[in-house]
Amino acid sequence: MEFKNYYQTLGLEQTATADDIKKAFRRLARKHHPDLNKNADAQSRMQELNEAKNVLGNPDKRAAYDRLLARRQDGQDFEPPPDWHHGFADAEHDGFHDYDMADPSDFFANLFSQARHQQGRPRRGKDLHASISLSLAESYHESQRNIVLPVWKTDTQGQVYKEERTLSVRIPKGVTEGQHIRLAGQGSPGQAGDKAGELYLEVHFIPDPQYRVEGRQVFQTLPVTPWEAALGGVIHVATPSGLVKVTLPQSSQNGRKIRLKGRGIPGQPDGDLYLVLAVILPSATSPSAQALYQQMARELAFDPRQSSTKG
Amino acid sequence: MSHDNSLLGVLLDEKNLTLEELAHACGVAPQWVIERIQTKLILQLTEGDTKTWRFDSISLRRARRLVFAEQVLDANPELAALVADLLEERDALRSRLGESD
Repeated sequence: MEFKNYYQTLGLEQTATADDIKKAFRRLARKHHPDLNKNADAQSRMQELNEAKNVLGNPDKRAAYDRLLARRQDGQDFEPPPDWHHGFADAEHDGFHDYDMADPSDFFANLFSQARHQQGRPRRGKDLHASISLSLAESYHESQRNIVLPVWKTDTQGQVYKEERTLSVRIPKGVTEGQHIRLAGQGSPGQAGDKAGELYLEVHFIPDPQYRVEGRQVFQTLPVTPWEAALGGVIHVATPSGLVKVTLPQSSQNGRKIRLKGRGIPGQPDGDLYLVLAVILPSATSPSAQALYQQMARELAFDPRQSSTKG
Repeated sequence: MSHDNSLLGVLLDEKNLTLEELAHACGVAPQWVIERIQTKLILQLTEGDTKTWRFDSISLRRARRLVFAEQVLDANPELAALVADLLEERDALRSRLGESD
């Protein structure tokens, strides 16, 4: 088992005061909280911080941990001495809350969760929270995802070890950004025969520059040529719900929205899809293209700055 | 698509959370939620008796943000709510800009 130096996790010396620990934890928690830090390792860093705060923030646990730290010899595989945790078996009743302790390290699970497992009273399992990323198109129909979750087990020697559990989850049709999917009984197991917790998956759409989503309303950027925008006509557009035939009105300007009712994210009621026109100009690098632009300049007598000042 | 051994998730907003379920999901006591409802720091979907209160995804995310600000950063409930308000406004603006988090 890898030994965790919780003082290093918080960037502190072993002589740190309780106030130093609290301040260091707050500063780092603010930096690594997934709401504010989108790095892939933010969640795991937050988990390490929570463990360090859980142990060092509790005087009894800290004293026990300090004794372990003093006995530890670098380079040796770490095994806790028997009954080393004597003295903090009731530490979880000290008012400290485990904020999001969903995936503790082997070290923490063995040393600090063990004491809890020895308490025999029934307790419902904790609810777990995780994020799940979907493409927008996946919200238009039921989809399936495999989710890997840690499961803690105890061997015959009483050592806690981690296993991975893969859940195959059917994601309901019509899910929207920020919505939660609830999986009953898939959270942490209950103690002494009590119920397991729930698993909540918070949905986030994989960023796609083509789409913007507000609730069930979907805004899709639709690139069009100047002549399609000017002359109108029927074009074929690939949307999240499939290929559709769209009639462009004549004299459409850049940014014009065309509403396709009921083609947003499905629900009660279905959302709408808005095609937002983006007029793309062909480059004028060839002599023939330059000649066409010059002809337009001569014959259209168009000055967009004049028309905008006239309102 | 095979449905063998797969679990069907339930969209939270089709079957909203009760007071006890919200509290358990946030790792707090129901009284913690009640106090924040009474001071309008969290909004419930339904008025009336606490047994009939229901909470959606927005409430769950907000409540978890309040818990974080209060328990981790030691913010008082009003300051925690201000943090949650600002994060919600940031989320809304990012959504309008078409940005991801």
